Order: sequence, then C-alpha cells, then structure tokens
Amino acid sequence: MLIKKIIILSVLLILPTKVFALIEVDITRGNLNPLPLAVSPLSIDDKSKKSFEEILKKENIGSEISIIVENNLKISGLFNPLNKDAFLQAPDIANLKPRFEDWNLIKAQALITGKVTYVDEKLRVEFRLWDVLAAKEMMALAFTTVPSNWRRVGHIISDKVYERLTGEKGYFDTRIIYVAEEGPKTQRIKKLAIMDQDGFNNKFLTLGNELVLTPRFNPASQMVTYLSYFKNLPRVYLLDIETGTQEVVGDFPGMTFAPRFSPDGKKIIMSFAKDGKSDIYTMDLENRIVEKITNHPSIDTSPSYSPDGKYITFNSDRSGYQQIYVMKNDGSNVKRISFGKGLYGTPVWSPRGDLIAFTKLHKGKFYIGVMRTDGTGERLLTENYYQEAPSWSPNGRVLIFYRETKTDNKGEGFSAKLWSIDLTGYNERLVETPTDASDPSWSSLLSN
Amino acid sequence: MILSKIFKNTLVVIVACLVLSACATKKEATIDSIGGQIQGDVYTGTEGVKYLADGVPDRVFFATNESILTTASRETLRAQAAWLRKNSDINVVLEGHADERGTREYNLALGERRANSAKDYLMTYGISSDRISVLSYGKERPIDSGSTPLAWSKNRRSVTVKAN
Amino acid sequence: MNRSIIISSLLHGALIFITAMSLPFLAKKPLNIPPIVSVELIQIAEKTNIPFAPKAKKIIEKVKEKEKKLVSEQAPPKKVKKTKTKTVVSLDQNNEKIENQVPKAIPLPEKTIKKIETKKETKQNPEKVDNEVKQVSEFEKKDLFDPNSIAALIDKSKVDSAKVIKKNNDITQNQDKNIVTSGLTLSEEDALKAQIFGCWSIPLGLPYNENLLVRIKLKLEPDGSVVKTEILDHARMNKPGQGFYKVLAESALRAVKLCQPLRVPTSGYERWKELQLNFDAREMLEG
Repeated sequence: MLIKKIIILSVLLILPTKVFALIEVDITRGNLNPLPLAVSPLSIDDKSKKSFEEILKKENIGSEISIIVENNLKISGLFNPLNKDAFLQAPDIANLKPRFEDWNLIKAQALITGKVTYVDEKLRVEFRLWDVLAAKEMMALAFTTVPSNWRRVGHIISDKVYERLTGEKGYFDTRIIYVAEEGPKTQRIKKLAIMDQDGFNNKFLTLGNELVLTPRFNPASQMVTYLSYFKNLPRVYLLDIETGTQEVVGDFPGMTFAPRFSPDGKKIIMSFAKDGKSDIYTMDLENRIVEKITNHPSIDTSPSYSPDGKYITFNSDRSGYQQIYVMKNDGSNVKRISFGKGLYGTPVWSPRGDLIAFTKLHKGKFYIGVMRTDGTGERLLTENYYQEAPSWSPNGRVLIFYRETKTDNKGEGFSAKLWSIDLTGYNERLVETPTDASDPSWSSLLSN
Repeated sequence: MILSKIFKNTLVVIVACLVLSACATKKEATIDSIGGQIQGDVYTGTEGVKYLADGVPDRVFFATNESILTTASRETLRAQAAWLRKNSDINVVLEGHADERGTREYNLALGERRANSAKDYLMTYGISSDRISVLSYGKERPIDSGSTPLAWSKNRRSVTVKAN
Repeated sequence: MNRSIIISSLLHGALIFITAMSLPFLAKKPLNIPPIVSVELIQIAEKTNIPFAPKAKKIIEKVKEKEKKLVSEQAPPKKVKKTKTKTVVSLDQNNEKIENQVPKAIPLPEKTIKKIETKKETKQNPEKVDNEVKQVSEFEKKDLFDPNSIAALIDKSKVDSAKVIKKNNDITQNQDKNIVTSGLTLSEEDALKAQIFGCWSIPLGLPYNENLLVRIKLKLEPDGSVVKTEILDHARMNKPGQGFYKVLAESALRAVKLCQPLRVPTSGYERWKELQLNFDAREMLEG
C-alpha cells in the first residue's frame, strides 16, 4: 500500500513535465493530387537493344516498357508521372543508385528504374521502386519471359508498383472482352472482341455473321460465356478463348440470355425466357445438371453471384417495375434491396463483396451507381443520356461500362463507347477501342 | 408587420398555384402536338408497317415498359388470326422488340413478353401454338434510329413475320 | 353544381389561407440557426483550449477508449453505472497511466485491459484531480463509446461544468503558467499544420471507411529540422493485412521529410523538441 502511494506520488510529481513535453498535432488534411513519380526509362545495353530491335521491331524496348508503366499509372488517376525531359540522371546510372537530390528537385516522391537484357533468347527485366524522400529502395523484382510478352511485363510492373504504393492489388495485367459494333443503328453488326486493359492487342473473336451480346469472362479468364443469335436462336454459348471452340449451354426450348459464371467457374447462371416470363437457371458445366433458381411470373434477369458464391443478386419487375433483389444461391430468401426512385437494373456484385454496382434509370437519365449489399448507401457515380452494364476491375476500385449517344434529329450520330470510372466517382475516362463498343467485361488478374 | 407578411405569403401561394397550373396546361399541349401518331404512349401511325395481306398489318405497338395489347392492337391481331386461318400452311415468327431506353438484358426479356402477349391473343382466336414461334430482339433491331419519344414508340413492337 | 363550386372554392381558399399562415413559420427558420452556431462555437472553444489541455492526455484517452471498448464488450451494463459515480476518480488513474504509457508509447492491449480492471477496483481514492480539461475529454470519450448514457451524461455535465467553473477560478493563475509552457499556441499550431497539409500527398487509393490513424513521434532541432521519426504503431507496419496502414504511414513520413525544416515556434525549444503528429486521412477521403 505504501509503495503504491509512493508510486502515485512520484507519478504526480513527474507528471507535469512528462505530460507537457509531448505536443500532439492532428494532421487531418493533405493534398489529394495524384502522387508525383518519375518513371525512368529502363536502361538497355547495345547488344540487347539490337536483338530486341530484330525480334520485336521496337527501337528501344526499355523505354517502350516504361511508357506502358507510365501510361497505366497515369490512367489510374492516383499517380502523376513526371515529364521525362526534366530527368537529370541517365537511366543506367539511376538504376544502380539514384541521386535522390536530383529526383527530389523535380518533386518526384517515388522513382521507378530498371534494366532490360536479352538472355538466352529471353527478355529479362529487373526494376526497382525507390522512395525518393526517404532515400531508400521500396521494392526490387526481376522477370524473365519470351520477348513477345513485353507489354505484359509493363503491366505486371505497373501492378506491383500500384500495390506497393496504394496497399491494394493492381488491375493492369488484365484484359477486357466486349462487343465491337459497326454499321447503322438499325442494322448493327456485332462481334466479340478482346483486348488488353489499355486497348492494345485488340482481337475479334467472331466474324459478325450473327448478333452477339453480353460476353463475360470466367474467373480464370480463359472461357467466355455470351449470347449469340446463331441461326436466329438466341442462346447462351460458351467459348474457349485459347482453342476457339464454342458450344451451346444447356438444352432449353427457348431464349436463354444474361449469362455469368459462378465465382468458382463451375456453373453458368442465366435467364431463360418462356411464355412471357423469364426465370433464373444455373447449369453445372461438369455434369450438365440444370437447376431452376427463381419461379415467378415476372421477368427475373441479370443474375450475378456474390464472390463467395452464397448469394445471387438479380433484377426483377415483380414489384411492377425493374428493381434489384438479393437471394440465397438456392433461390430462397428473396429480398428487394433497391428502394430509391426510378428503375434499377444490371446488378453486379463487387469482387470485395461489400458493394453492388447497378444501372439506374430515373427521369430519362441513366446512372451508374453502387450500393451496399443490403441496399443502403446508394451512390450514383455518373449520369448520362444512356449508359449501362458496369463491370468491376478485379481489385474492385474501377468500373467499366458502355455509353451510347443520342442521335440527332435525322437519327444519325449514334455511337457506343466504353468508359471507366473510379469507385469514388472521379477519374471518368474513355476507353479507346478501334470500333464502337459495348457490353464490356473485365477479366481477373492474368498473372498471379 | 404580421399582416403584411401574411399578405405577401398569400401572393406567393397564388403565384405558385398559377405557375404550376401553367405547367400542367403546357404539358397537355405537347402531348396534343404528337397526338397524331402517339396515343397514350403507343404508336398509332403507319410508318414502317408492312402488310401480310390486304388490310392485315404485320405489327402491333406497346406503351413504355408494357406488354398489354391496346384496342387497335387487338384489332390488328384479329385480322392476322383471320389471315392465318385462311392460310393454314403458313407459320409465323413473332419478333418482340423494345426501345433503347432500357438495359439490354431486361429488354430482351421484355421483347419476349411482348411477342408472347401477341401470341396468346392469336391463340385465343384459334391459331395453334405450333404455328407460332417467338423471338426477342430486345433493343437490338430498332426500325427508327432516332432518340425521340416518337422513334421509341415505333420501336416498341411485336412484328409477325412469315416463317416459311 | 353550384354547391360543389362553392365548396371547392371555399376549400381552396382555406388551403391558400392555411399555406399562407404556415409560411411565416418557415420565415422564422433563420432564428433557429443560432443554436447550431453555438455548437460550432463549443468546438472552437475546445480547440482554443489546446494550450492548457495537456495534449498527451488525449492519446491516453484514445488508448483508453480502445481498451474500454474491449472491456465494455465483456461487461457493458456495469460500466454505465460507474461512469456516473466514479469518473472523476478514474481520471486520477489516468494520470498514473500517463506515466506508465507515454514513454513506452505502444501499450499492448491485453496488458492495459488488466490495468484498467485493477484500477477500477482501486477506485476509491477520494483525491480529485484539479484538471477539468480531463473531464471534458472524458465526456467526449463516453459519447463516443456509449451513446446510451448520453442522457446520464447531460445530467452530469451540469454538475461537472459547475465544478469546472469553480475550479477554473481557483486555478486560473497556476494554469496560466502552464499554458505558456505546455502546448503550442493556436497560431503556432496552425502554422505547422498548414505547412504539413501542403506536403502530405494523401494516398488516393485508401479505403475511406477503415480506421487508419498513423501517429509519428518527431525529434526536432531548434531550426525545425527533423532528427528522428518514429512511427508509434510500428509493429502494425509489417503485419499481414495492414497494407493500407503501411501505405499511409509511408506517405506521412514522406510528408515530414518533404516539409523539412518544420515551421516551429521561434522560442521555447524545450517544449516542442519532441512532437507527435497524428495523420488521419478519413476526413479528406470521405469528402
């Protein structure tokens, strides 16, 4: 007891100085400008440079790769890659040991350097990420791959840098499958097309002889399920991107549409329309067993699984108008979650599982928005004349969707384009495609 | 002071009433102006309409988000039923369509529903369901590429097409 | 026909009359604003309290808050009662904790829970602490973690504020000395804040709904240059699943580096040679 008192007493005596010694200042504000960083061109020796020039027809593959990185980081809206003209240090020296004062001088807070070499007919890239202000290395990695994969190397580096500087996975080493559109609005020709996330390596997967709609990747990004009007019978199809083989999904006596994969990739969930009503079905791709999930005289469509596969969100007009619902994966516990003004469609569960993205039609305007899975916290990200069908980036930060323009009074000037926007509602961007485009679907990260 | 306030407020209320009622009359006026071709949101014109036979139009039109047949539609379908009874060797496809103001997937289902409501009506007039198939194009095949209420009304349709 | 017209016009007249009569109330609305403003004033007052509010207490309060949350999960009903009767005493216990914890900076949660529990048992010291500011913060804390007891707190606040005023009169002079030698003055703090606001690039990818607070302790030279930085929750940096924390911490360190030398007061080096910065991006990311 006495000891205790002494302690307390001494505490009280020491207290004032101790307490007043440490001043606290709360920093609750900062600037929200993209982080300024410098992407130094990857250095390359003359011999490797010549080899790659022969193989890839690119004059300097080192700077080409750094341009990919720079472009990706810029597009993310989170980084501000600085102009290379201002760089003071040569790439080869910077990669060994950056002179941080120089980079500090141009206000770079992070620096990316690297080296490309040609080793055993392969492309070897090493890169380093530096914290300029702390004057230390944050990350160093090396990749070896076939030279033709050079763009992917750029994307993988971007992903690593993004992850190191933001704390979450990137989304650059990904592809987008979409519907390429051409021709007049009344006789649109539509083809399946696939491209890298940054618009490069565009390829058409169908010839455009029949109408195709709503392609979606499986989780492994090797298969695509989509709607095709082959022989004027609208059915859900399955396409293997590598082999090009196609098959009809299930044997339904009518139109199947709105397909998506389950998160484990083993099932396809879709709508089947018959006698004026559309219900949701699943088909197991291994044993071909078909299950009916909803049974209601209304239109139930646009189903999408939660990432754990336990729930399904879909839209239905059972209340009289198109609204969003959530149910268990066996079709039980159907709950309406959208209660705002207007019509709601195309719900898509986010990869993180906490949000559902949707299209909303209200007073003649179309919105892309997100809400929590119980329907609360609705946020509209963008408003336009017509836009729909959001698809999540694999890290759940960005949505890609398509937007159509109003035609003029002659019925001309129609276009359809892909756009992306951050979950924050900022950083809205046109995604360049060689033709008009719609129905985008984002793949998962290809490297992992 | 208080009295003048009340007076001011009364004025405000009356002005507001007038403004609102002015809006209402204006709206009626605009509906009247295209009333020649649209009635209650349903297209009643003949642009793009083809004829299966003399006096047998090939299509019926719908209101936004609806699949209910109007009186005019029912008349058209009765004519089609009569024509089908006369030509028992002809089978038809009913192609359902929607306008561009809806999400693609929902519109596919809506087109199917519209074609089916036409099919049901034909069946009640004695046409066997074996002779009728249904196909939905959703919003994929508009006949009018315009972005106006009139263009949309032309596109909300179910078209009867000879299958053989 | 006539009758219905009369009724209709009467009803319409009544409607217009009622609407007109009710509008003056709307017009009065601005009069309701002053109370709202006064709320803001309280907040400002709090801020101006900073000089004589030993800031370190706030950390302890925060730490305690966390602990109390943990404790409250175990025994929620008891606590409400205690708050009414024993707060003042428990503040005293805080002092002891300050001594224990400030130097160590990172108390392990489990240990401190035990501490609190033992303290609660020994809460019979009749000593009252002469620092009313602590009570204020105690209030905040209660508000935060136990909304149910707000009513009780309001009652209590009357009593306590009365005490506070009394005490204030007693001690003002002593306190004044402390004010000078304790924290930064408002303008000094504002200068420093403004400088760091400009240097801090908030990582834009951070989730705005997670509780991310990075506390950095600085050792400074008299000219404001930074001799040493220390992240107080350093252990959290390399834990799996704390990627966002790490990113935020690194951005905070960059901000400090970028801002060197810090805009520190020209005098009184002794009081600010050590400084703690609490980086919290939520406000910005939410907005």
